[in-house]
Amino acid sequence: MGSAKPIFRFEELGQEHNNLVGKKCANLGEMIRMGLPVPPGFAISIDTYRKFAEESGAAEEISRYVSRLGELKGQNIALFDKVSQEIRGMIEGKEIPESIRKMVGSYYKELGKKVKVSNVAVSVRSAGTESRPGMFETYLNVIGIEDVLDKVKRVWASAYTARAIAFRVNKDIPITGDELGIAVTKMVNARSAGIAFTVEPVTGDTSKIVIDANWGLGEGVVSGAENVDRFVVDKKSFAILDTHIGKKAKQVINKKRGVGWEEVPLKKQSAPCLSNDEVVAVAKLAMSLEKHLGKPQDMEWVIDPDFPPPNNIFLLQTRPAEVAAKKVETVTDRMIDLIAKRFYRPDSNRSTQPKNR
Amino acid sequence: MSVKKQPKVKIWDKTIGSDYIEEIDLPQMHSWFFDGTHSVPPLTPLYAWHWVKYCSHGFKVACTELSIPTCKGWELRTLNGSIYCAFHIVRDPKEIAEREVKFRQALRPWLEDFDGLWAAHKEELLGMYRKLKGLDVDHATNLQLCHHSRDLRRTYMRMWEIHFQGMYTSNNAWLLLETMTKERFGIRDQDPEFQDMMRGFDNKLYQMDKKLWEFGRLAIKKGLEDVFKENEPQAILAKLQQSAKGKEWFKKFMDYMKTDDIGGWRMRRFNDFTEPYWLEDPATPLGLVKDSIMKGSGYNLEATRAEIARKREVAIAAFLKRVPTGEKDLFEKMIRLAGKASSYSEEHNLYCELFVQALMRRGYLAMGRRLAQKGTIDAPEDIFMMKPDEIDRVLMVPEAYDMRWLTRMRRAAWEESQNTPMPPFFTDRASKEEAVEKDLLPSGDVVAIKLVVGEVPQPKPELKADLWGICGCAGEAEGTARVVMVYEDLKKVQPGDILVCPGINPTWTPVFGLVRGVITDTGGTLCHAAIIGREYGVPTIVNTQEGTSRIKSGQKLKIDATNGAIYILK
Repeated sequence: MGSAKPIFRFEELGQEHNNLVGKKCANLGEMIRMGLPVPPGFAISIDTYRKFAEESGAAEEISRYVSRLGELKGQNIALFDKVSQEIRGMIEGKEIPESIRKMVGSYYKELGKKVKVSNVAVSVRSAGTESRPGMFETYLNVIGIEDVLDKVKRVWASAYTARAIAFRVNKDIPITGDELGIAVTKMVNARSAGIAFTVEPVTGDTSKIVIDANWGLGEGVVSGAENVDRFVVDKKSFAILDTHIGKKAKQVINKKRGVGWEEVPLKKQSAPCLSNDEVVAVAKLAMSLEKHLGKPQDMEWVIDPDFPPPNNIFLLQTRPAEVAAKKVETVTDRMIDLIAKRFYRPDSNRSTQPKNR
Repeated sequence: MSVKKQPKVKIWDKTIGSDYIEEIDLPQMHSWFFDGTHSVPPLTPLYAWHWVKYCSHGFKVACTELSIPTCKGWELRTLNGSIYCAFHIVRDPKEIAEREVKFRQALRPWLEDFDGLWAAHKEELLGMYRKLKGLDVDHATNLQLCHHSRDLRRTYMRMWEIHFQGMYTSNNAWLLLETMTKERFGIRDQDPEFQDMMRGFDNKLYQMDKKLWEFGRLAIKKGLEDVFKENEPQAILAKLQQSAKGKEWFKKFMDYMKTDDIGGWRMRRFNDFTEPYWLEDPATPLGLVKDSIMKGSGYNLEATRAEIARKREVAIAAFLKRVPTGEKDLFEKMIRLAGKASSYSEEHNLYCELFVQALMRRGYLAMGRRLAQKGTIDAPEDIFMMKPDEIDRVLMVPEAYDMRWLTRMRRAAWEESQNTPMPPFFTDRASKEEAVEKDLLPSGDVVAIKLVVGEVPQPKPELKADLWGICGCAGEAEGTARVVMVYEDLKKVQPGDILVCPGINPTWTPVFGLVRGVITDTGGTLCHAAIIGREYGVPTIVNTQEGTSRIKSGQKLKIDATNGAIYILK
């Protein structure tokens, strides 16, 4: 595949390109095909990483290093940290070949032209062929081609975060088993952002959509650090069944470069960060995704104040909602557990023991 | 050369693994506990043989299928017509942990869809019974009867496999609710607050009671009231045949007995073959119709039951108010499932024991008639003194055998056992406490603890009662004691009496509409007496151990069932 096209505009992609550019990029393409509002951008193929790793010598170096490692299963986290640091160093320390630099540069320039901003601010996100939420790195508000190329390399290297290595070791996936594509997307000016689940993530209830939202960028929700707003919407009627307004003390916003936390002005802290109309609009977008993709989705959305409603909502990514990741405990589970533990463990004390005195 | 029977010859009439033989069974299991619920009055040899073999098989199957972590089943033996039980306790923690993994999987479908699984099992049982009913036992050849005997046992065996799966799962749900309510809210399953949540379920037992009550209403409407009021149950049938309306009523009644999926295939006595089933002797159900008529037109079974069901929902709602929000779902599900334990406990006997045992009585009596005709035994009922392998052996050529020496010997022993008190346990441990501690409790067996062996009453000295038991259904009552040892004597019970008995079974249900209170020697909070007491709202005290021996018929009693206290006034 060495001669295949290394970079694609999102609109050239669809679900069938999962292995070519990674799930996140393929889904963004699919969303555009569906006519959903996705910020413009381009995808760097997984083969581009392979080309970089081959030509720079990183691949051989990593492969040699890995072959010398013993059994990692059950090892101390400190060892994973060390392995991570060393492999990431092998990637980040290499130069990106000129041909790739040029290609990325030209797509970046084209994106700038398209949105009429030179040195357009972008996000640089990882896109593996499997959805591995939270394993790899994402860089926001990246500005200028040098910065973009630097972050591209860092995202590639993030295939070897300690948590990603540990995950693969535990799942018996080869240490070098994740290679990443990259989504470079125009940054949206975010008034509010968040996630929408088309299944209740705790109970597994599929009749409702759950939306978590905060002021600023979606990272203010995803990190789980803040007390955010929650809206529960009925899938059929799109009626808002439940609204919880959190006290949102902090938000994530664009800095000059990159992003950072900042205080939310006091009067906005306890105000809903979405209007009811916006809640319903987000819910409807989420539903159209679920319908099209055939299973419950976990999607990230943002409200851009630069556009008038209803065209102010953008979708940043979507993936199958992993309810199983947090195992749902039903009432039956609890009963089984109680019965097993209370009555049938040798050390359990039956409260109903007959007393024969 | 014929050997002359000599009285000096010692006859060894014990079967290893069936009869309790101390030198073999005691070292193996260490402790054997008397099962008062199923041993009073003593069982006939034929019945005891079946019980020991297949009931213990059922326990083992349920413990295997459900992978009960701490118990692999019960072992049963019979001695003097009584039943003793011992438990195959799993003692190795590693094995317990392994069994627990499968237990969790096996329990799930029952907790998720108890009614569905039970419905499928009911269908299976009724299907097997339909086949057995198909044989015309009076015109069958001896060979057909021989095969029938095999089919009866196969069906009986399957019945026990089904029986205990539902029982273990539903009783666990009950026990869990009891444990949690006691721990969290200080409510015991003996308390009215708890018991009110477990009453008034619509099930087959109630539906049949209702049907009989409706036949009572119909009889009144047809002007047949006096036929029932003025005659003993045995005479009612003949009287009904004397009028066109009576005949018409009786035809309808028998149609129900024959066409309902249970109908008259219901033993009068719960655990033996010695008494007729309803279809065989309609005097039993006719007597129940009479009871409902005697209660007068003011009595409305349906309304009474509806009221109990309404109170149940009120009690559940009141209880759930006390439960923290995060646990409401859990407690509500536990309450609903525990309710199924109550309902299953009432209903399952109709589909399990009472039906198949009616078929067995019919089949074995038919065989008994063949044997009696040829002089193999004295009378058809003597078949109950034989064991199946003996029956199989003689049935094809009955004229070649004289088994009277055996049936007479066993009958004499059986009759004597009626007056032989049996010890509550056998053990080679130092004391009963140690026996319970080592050979019963580690089984974790919910059926043993809640039904058979029962909890031991804890007297409250400040109440100064004469006798103590466990509260089966809360409430207070005063009345005349009526000690009833066998079903036959139930007819002596007068309205307003307090029934004192060894234990009861669903066949005795209707008498609960007549009495003010019930006291039993045996059982726990999930035994039949307790459950039916709650269904009928009759104060009930169970597991007094010595009620029938301490109380005499005619004595005035006061019972405070809530506290398990019994006062003998005079």
